[in-house]
Amino acid sequence: MNQSELQTRAASVEFRSVSKRYGTEVTAVDNVSLHIEAGELVTLLGPSGCGKTTTLRMIAGLEMASAGQILIGGRDVTQLPATDRDVSMVFQSYALFPHMTVLENVCYGLQASGKSKKASVERAEYGLDLIGLKGYGSRLPSELSGGQQQRVAVARALVLEPQVLLFDEPLSNLDAKLRRQVRDDIREIQQRLQLTVVYVTHDQEEALAVSDRIIVMKNAMIAQVGTPRELYEQPASEFVADFIGEANIIDAEISDVTDGVATVHVGNFILSLDARGLSAGRAKVAVRPNRIILQSGDEADGRSMPGVIDKATYVGDRIEYKVRTGSGVLFCTSEATDHQWQGDAEVRVRFDDNGPVLLENRA
Amino acid sequence: MKKSNNIAAAVGIALLGSVSHGIAAEKLTYYCSAQEDWCQLMAKGFEEATGIKVAMTRKSSGETLAQIKAEASNPKGDVWWGGTGDPHLQAAEDGLTVAYESPMRAELNDWSISQSESAGNKTIGIYSGALGYGYNEEILKANNLPVPACWEDLLKPEYKGHVQMANPNSSGTAYTTLATIVQLFGEDEGFEFMKGLHKNINQYTKSGSAPIKAAARGENTIGIVFMHDAVKQAVSGFPIKVVAPCEGTGYEIGSMSLIKDGRNLENAKKFYDWALTADVQSRSLEVKAFQVMSNKAAESSPQAPDLASIKLIDYDFKKYGSSAERKRLLKKWDDEVSTLPR
Amino acid sequence: MLVTSADVQSGTRAGRVVMLWLLIGFAGYFLAPWYILEDGFFSFEWLDGYPFDTDYAPAAFLISQGEKIWLAPLILPLLLPLFVLKRQSSRLFSTLLIVAGASGLFYLFAQGFSIGIRGFNAQWMATLFGDLGDRQFGFGYGAVLLSATFLFYLTTGIASRGYINGDIFVVGAIGFIIAIVAIFIFFPIAQMLSSALRDNDGVYSVSVFISKFSENKIWGLGCLTENRGCGVAWNSLFLAVIVGAATTLLGLVFALVATRSGFRYGNWLRALTVLPIITPPFVIGLAIILLFGLSGSVTQWVAGVLDLQPTRWVYGLPGIMIAQMLSFTPIAFLVLIGVVEGVSPSMEEASQTLRASRWYTFKTVTFPLIRPGLANAFLLGFIESMADFGNPLVLGGNYDVLSTEIFFAIVGAQNDQGRAAVLAIVLLMFTLTAFYAQRRWLGRKSYITKTGKGDGGSHTLMPKRILWPCYTIATVWVVFTVTVYSMIIYGGFVETWGLNHTLTFKHYITTFAVGYNEFGIHFKGAAWDSFFTTLKIAAAAAPLTAMVGLITAYLLVRQQFHGKNWFEFGTMLSFAIPGTVVGVSYILAFNVPPLELTGTGIILIISFVFRNMPVGVRAGIASMSQLDKSLDEASLTLGASTWRTFRKVILPLMRPAILAALVFSFVRAMTAISAVIFLVSAEYNMATSYIIGRVENNDYGIAIAYSTVLIFTMLTAIVLFQLLVGRNQTSRPFAQSRTNVG
Repeated sequence: MNQSELQTRAASVEFRSVSKRYGTEVTAVDNVSLHIEAGELVTLLGPSGCGKTTTLRMIAGLEMASAGQILIGGRDVTQLPATDRDVSMVFQSYALFPHMTVLENVCYGLQASGKSKKASVERAEYGLDLIGLKGYGSRLPSELSGGQQQRVAVARALVLEPQVLLFDEPLSNLDAKLRRQVRDDIREIQQRLQLTVVYVTHDQEEALAVSDRIIVMKNAMIAQVGTPRELYEQPASEFVADFIGEANIIDAEISDVTDGVATVHVGNFILSLDARGLSAGRAKVAVRPNRIILQSGDEADGRSMPGVIDKATYVGDRIEYKVRTGSGVLFCTSEATDHQWQGDAEVRVRFDDNGPVLLENRA
Repeated sequence: MKKSNNIAAAVGIALLGSVSHGIAAEKLTYYCSAQEDWCQLMAKGFEEATGIKVAMTRKSSGETLAQIKAEASNPKGDVWWGGTGDPHLQAAEDGLTVAYESPMRAELNDWSISQSESAGNKTIGIYSGALGYGYNEEILKANNLPVPACWEDLLKPEYKGHVQMANPNSSGTAYTTLATIVQLFGEDEGFEFMKGLHKNINQYTKSGSAPIKAAARGENTIGIVFMHDAVKQAVSGFPIKVVAPCEGTGYEIGSMSLIKDGRNLENAKKFYDWALTADVQSRSLEVKAFQVMSNKAAESSPQAPDLASIKLIDYDFKKYGSSAERKRLLKKWDDEVSTLPR
Repeated sequence: MLVTSADVQSGTRAGRVVMLWLLIGFAGYFLAPWYILEDGFFSFEWLDGYPFDTDYAPAAFLISQGEKIWLAPLILPLLLPLFVLKRQSSRLFSTLLIVAGASGLFYLFAQGFSIGIRGFNAQWMATLFGDLGDRQFGFGYGAVLLSATFLFYLTTGIASRGYINGDIFVVGAIGFIIAIVAIFIFFPIAQMLSSALRDNDGVYSVSVFISKFSENKIWGLGCLTENRGCGVAWNSLFLAVIVGAATTLLGLVFALVATRSGFRYGNWLRALTVLPIITPPFVIGLAIILLFGLSGSVTQWVAGVLDLQPTRWVYGLPGIMIAQMLSFTPIAFLVLIGVVEGVSPSMEEASQTLRASRWYTFKTVTFPLIRPGLANAFLLGFIESMADFGNPLVLGGNYDVLSTEIFFAIVGAQNDQGRAAVLAIVLLMFTLTAFYAQRRWLGRKSYITKTGKGDGGSHTLMPKRILWPCYTIATVWVVFTVTVYSMIIYGGFVETWGLNHTLTFKHYITTFAVGYNEFGIHFKGAAWDSFFTTLKIAAAAAPLTAMVGLITAYLLVRQQFHGKNWFEFGTMLSFAIPGTVVGVSYILAFNVPPLELTGTGIILIISFVFRNMPVGVRAGIASMSQLDKSLDEASLTLGASTWRTFRKVILPLMRPAILAALVFSFVRAMTAISAVIFLVSAEYNMATSYIIGRVENNDYGIAIAYSTVLIFTMLTAIVLFQLLVGRNQTSRPFAQSRTNVG
């Protein structure tokens, strides 16, 4: 067999009302349905214990669903064990076999799936080349740095040309600088080979940077699905707004909805916002800190409200303010670092035009 | 290809070799209840004399009887040699052994033949030893104790804590003692004797010869045992003196039986005949076995207790070897003697 | 294109497994001798007359000659799976496999148990079917192969139903372990229980059992009211409680000295822990007699100095107690040193920064944290003391305990298997209760606070008011232990102990002389035979023990399945079954067809495997818990089967644990006596059984000389093992990657 280029056999992943229960008490994943397109990089994001890792392990076949159906490439794999699923996984701990050399590690899956020794080695060497570790084949994993070990783990999974490649918090054992680089490498390989990748992380910045789409999970359920921009700019709930980036959640009142546009009363001013399916009544508005504009002066213009600086913190590339207003204490940032209000200074607080977003979930 | 042919050939040769070897080997499974070195001597001697391969297990007669009984539905042993006669008689009674009349019988002492006949020829006496006791001279002296000479002497209060015998429940020797005392003094008086003795006993050991071994090592003063066991300790250099009780005493007949349904019956019979020859029996002296052998022509040691000069009772092997009587006596002893305070 | 479609793969895997077992079963039915070979396989005596001679013939040949026709129906379940090999994904496939396996197993054992050496075993069958006029011996290779086939048909069928993710290997392994535990632990125990319920004529009778069970000899309390002995049950219990408490206390003292005293030679103390493992039975008892007996050196010296009459004080409770404390203190030490070290130093440091004094810290932090460990050590000492056979045998005097009483009930003149079984049940009740308490009450409750992650700091030293008593006790005990072991070594070189102290090599020459003759080296010594047998049996048992232990550990640590708690209890159970009980029950269970093993070396090997299995399991669990589970999972997601994962990933990484299990079971097999004494046979005589014969015969010199040789043999094995594992770690630096991984 003569192959030097890895083939793309990316397939879609679909969950149909999948649940995972342990015993009678614990529900790790609760009636989750999702669809991941072939060739897409999707991140499962959420705080620890939200069910994201269990979801990933169910794709791998390391956990069996208690209810529902799992399809990979349109085929029902719900009952198939990990061994028989065409899925590879890169573990948080890398899980390199410490008693095998790097090359043996990369060959392992190839030989397990019945390839000849020679073909496996050839393929494995290509894989090592791909991740930039050519010539490291005879080393033991313990003789590599953390980042190198990580890349070996990726190569080991890649050479099998899996239908789906899974990453379980792959960067959590790396230092901050390396994290960014490996993250970019993963994204680059994924796009070059058009792989379907499911990626678990609890780091929202990492998720935003790497994903085509993000699935935010909370309490065993999906909180929101969307592109990084959608999630950041249009969070559906207080939880998502707060988990991805930082957000000010402000109580508001919808007085009227016309043609999908809501008239929203926030404090002393009125906003026209996308209604997002809400009707008149109490509601909440989320505003990102960088979408709040502070101005000096005291002229009331109906688009701003008065505030008093509670605290100002200089953090290098911006200044963080806490401002007491009629709608509570707001957190905002200003990139205009040349000017800094001091405590108790009186300011006007205004929202950027694209700033405030109504939260779909009132709770 | 060639290489593997060679290997096949080699394996074939090896197989053939072991096959022919396997078929040639005649064997005998031999249970021995005498002392280890004597057992070894018999096993090696028989191998040398006949070329039959002997597999030997040495266990006490009680253990061996238990094993033969356990194996009854699928016997593994062929011949059982040595050990006190009672378990052999019991095996005969339980149908675990088979009758055999050896051509060697003409050369044997009468006591051997009569014991054999009492068991329907299912066992035969190979040696005999009288019951008695031995004491450690030095300890006796150190404690200023009188020298005992009779059974009755052992009841004296000054011997309190100085006498040891085996537990009749676990030892054939001790059961012979119990049966002897009962035959000697009558059942009621005999049990009175045992009760009196009980007060002086420091320990009922598990094994029959343990009391004299303890005495030899200075761990005990007087041990009630077979006299040849005491003689053996004396000959080994321990300060042991042997006593043949003045009232008379019982004796055991060390026996040999063929195990029923044994897998090598013919070889077992060969062993049986061979073991009764005078030459073989004379070799007991090599291993310091001081019993009187059953073959009239067998040599005996000058140090061995001379049965002719000892007052022997007419021991009723049939009655006291039967399991009903044994159970009755043991239970009586258990209930009336062993539970008494000391 | 690299990986074949997954369902085809899983299908072929089940199919391949079934094909493999079908072939094996086929060999069992058509090729291998069906019945047990009297002379063993490797005598090849059976080739003479094979395949037609009924003693050596395979089942198929027997039937074709019209013999043993009751074996004929076995062909059906054997071939049944052939019909569905093509339709593996169907439910029919798994159903048929389950049916074939279960019915095959059932019929195989049913015929084995109902037709024995004298035709029908049960009276009602003889009445029903008439006299059979034929008989059969125990299962041989053919029957064993076929039963393995049926067993794995069954497990593969269950796996195909989706049980445990449809994992054939895991279900098969579970089935295998359950089968062998059932056959070699539960079946013999059940046989023993049933024998306890029978009177001397073999008739079941509850009243006989009750009267035997409630006997005064067992439960009597005469010692409290009169000057008499108590029942054996109370004796054993009392002894075990004292020994448990004393060994725990001593073990704690040593653990504290080793870790909390600034004592620099703590590692030397650890070496003490191997002593009880490598010491043959009786040896300590003999040494104690030589020291403390009526004529013992210490007794004589004390009597001389104080002008007292020397007594036989050591025989009975005091002697057994001393010997057992010597033997089992190291075990308590081993348990407690782990516990004491496991208390995180930062806990103690935290306490001290909160202004607690050392004593206050010890009292309120350290001690409560090690309390479960103490209970654990106590129960271990309790069980060991209950099960101990060698020391009470030598030192018991009039103090009867259960383990020796069982022995004498069988071998003594009373020769009462029923009574032995009853006593065994009493003993089993005690040990199982302790075992149960240990597992349920303490097993899970661990206060070990070590996190494995950079837990800096060092242990605080003990407060002085504890330190000095500890030092004193430890010193006295070490001196005592050293004295006892020196006596043992010295005792092998004197002519006759207590009588003639001339130094001599006599005993070594008698036992281990080597000569030359025309065939080369000739092992003349009397002990060589049993020595080689012992080595052989121990060497055969060791890898099996390690294997069974590790597979069990793997299932327990890495797999989730229903009834896992019971599975664990069953596999650890044999730890609580005293050797004498094992011996008795094995004789009862394995002397008759279909499982006819007495008199073979196999029964010794099997008894060792199951006696030592819990240790293998524990070693396996300990080391497997340190292996990151994601290693297995990585292997699985890379497409390797569970079996491949087990072989290629887990086994290589567990090498130190495997070696430890190997060495431990090897050594234990060399020193075991209590079960062995019932199971040795003419051909397979073991060292310990030889030694007991010498002890019985007053040949202390030879017994001690032999024991010394055994001790040094085992020491060599252990040292070799240490070297091997030590080198293993330096050449392959797992350590670092393991911390990364973990």
